Amino acid sequence: MISIAVSSQKGGVGKTTVCINLAHAFARAGIKTLLVDADPQGSVGLSLTRQSRALSGFYDYLSNPGIPLDDLIIPTRLETFSLVASGQASDYETSGGGMGAHLARIRTFLRGATDCGFELCLIDTAAGLFGVTGDVIASSDAIIIPQQAEPLGIRSVPKLLEGLHRLRVMNPRLSVLGICLTMVQNDLTESTEAASALRQLLPPEMVFQTQIPRDGLFVRASARGLPIGVIEDGANAQSVFDSLRSEIETKIKPQTSPK
Amino acid sequence: MTDIINPWLDPVEVRRLAEGLMTSHRDPATTIHNPGFDGKFVGFLADHSNPPPPPKSQPATEIPPKQVTAMPQNHRPNPTTAHGPLLERIIHFKNWMHEQFGTTDTFIIDQDGNVVFDDGNHAHLYFLARSLANAPLTQGASTGHVHLKISAETILEVIPVATTHGHLALCTAVAKSLSPTSVNAVMNALSQAASAPTENQMSKI
Repeated sequence: MISIAVSSQKGGVGKTTVCINLAHAFARAGIKTLLVDADPQGSVGLSLTRQSRALSGFYDYLSNPGIPLDDLIIPTRLETFSLVASGQASDYETSGGGMGAHLARIRTFLRGATDCGFELCLIDTAAGLFGVTGDVIASSDAIIIPQQAEPLGIRSVPKLLEGLHRLRVMNPRLSVLGICLTMVQNDLTESTEAASALRQLLPPEMVFQTQIPRDGLFVRASARGLPIGVIEDGANAQSVFDSLRSEIETKIKPQTSPK
Repeated sequence: MTDIINPWLDPVEVRRLAEGLMTSHRDPATTIHNPGFDGKFVGFLADHSNPPPPPKSQPATEIPPKQVTAMPQNHRPNPTTAHGPLLERIIHFKNWMHEQFGTTDTFIIDQDGNVVFDDGNHAHLYFLARSLANAPLTQGASTGHVHLKISAETILEVIPVATTHGHLALCTAVAKSLSPTSVNAVMNALSQAASAPTENQMSKI
């Protein structure tokens, strides 16, 4: 199994949208996919399951060693697509110096996911590169960084890179799959210029060719608790995530690539 | 085109950081400046003139995590003659190390980050220490010790040690970096202290 953390320095950049729809794209391609909500705000659960606040999840697993992983896995109508919700620990401490405290437990979680037969574990993390999110990244095989295509967000890139360097020291095998531009508005000059500037700034292999557009369909999809690919008129938007999935597959080393 | 970005950052530095992330491995023997350590990270030790033996392929056996906060007053100068339960042997080792090298604030973690021994409350350093100890291993190098300046007067030595329980990371504070000879002595002493004595050894004690 390969584990991929979806993380960013800033909040509100579209991590959850990328996670849900990318996980769905992999699952549709026949890859047994586990989508884990490691964001205490529980956005994945809130998007996809109406009863998410009643479900035990990732943070319960961290705080209670007695909970088996099997009890947390929520199947979906798609046989290859399962979820683990955030859980009940809504007041969980995610900031400050707690980094490293949950490393062993998160690695046990990922081993358990492998034992359950999953080929891909996609983890939606809280914003920032510290605390539990840092532990998730330090336990994962790879990281994808959604980055909003707007000037303010891109000015934060140096901080992001510094944070990733720090985590690379702690997890040298971490593969940086790349930055994915999100919320791209082709009708807004500042947005397209920001996207172009980022591409000029960074090595080409560090920025995915696929860009996620700002689209009202995403709001409609989350309002109905569905990945965008299964709502009407969602086929085009789904094709964007299929494209992103293809790019990721080419970047994953053959020995760890999902079948 | 990039005027909306460039005035706020240094493109050359950003490019350098980015390219560093796209490489698969770093040379563990090279002293690096990492922004995460605020210029105080001394780096992985470059002196490999007398490298310790490579890790054995035997699986690590689990050591029950234990913490001690009070240190017994029973000092023995030579850890290799100590016997009894693991914790007792490690305390002897720690006391010996203190007498020989003036070490303080000692803790030991295993390869998974579980605490084997802690003479204080150093939980905030476990993750960092484990990462530093494992970094050379995960990059295919032989084990090497790391020293990290954690204050104006204190250096944290992180010394990976192969034992019959698997790899342990010994972390201890010193005023001045240990010499390679001292590090080897410490490694050998901990390796023996952490290993259960054989019947032959027991008969000599």
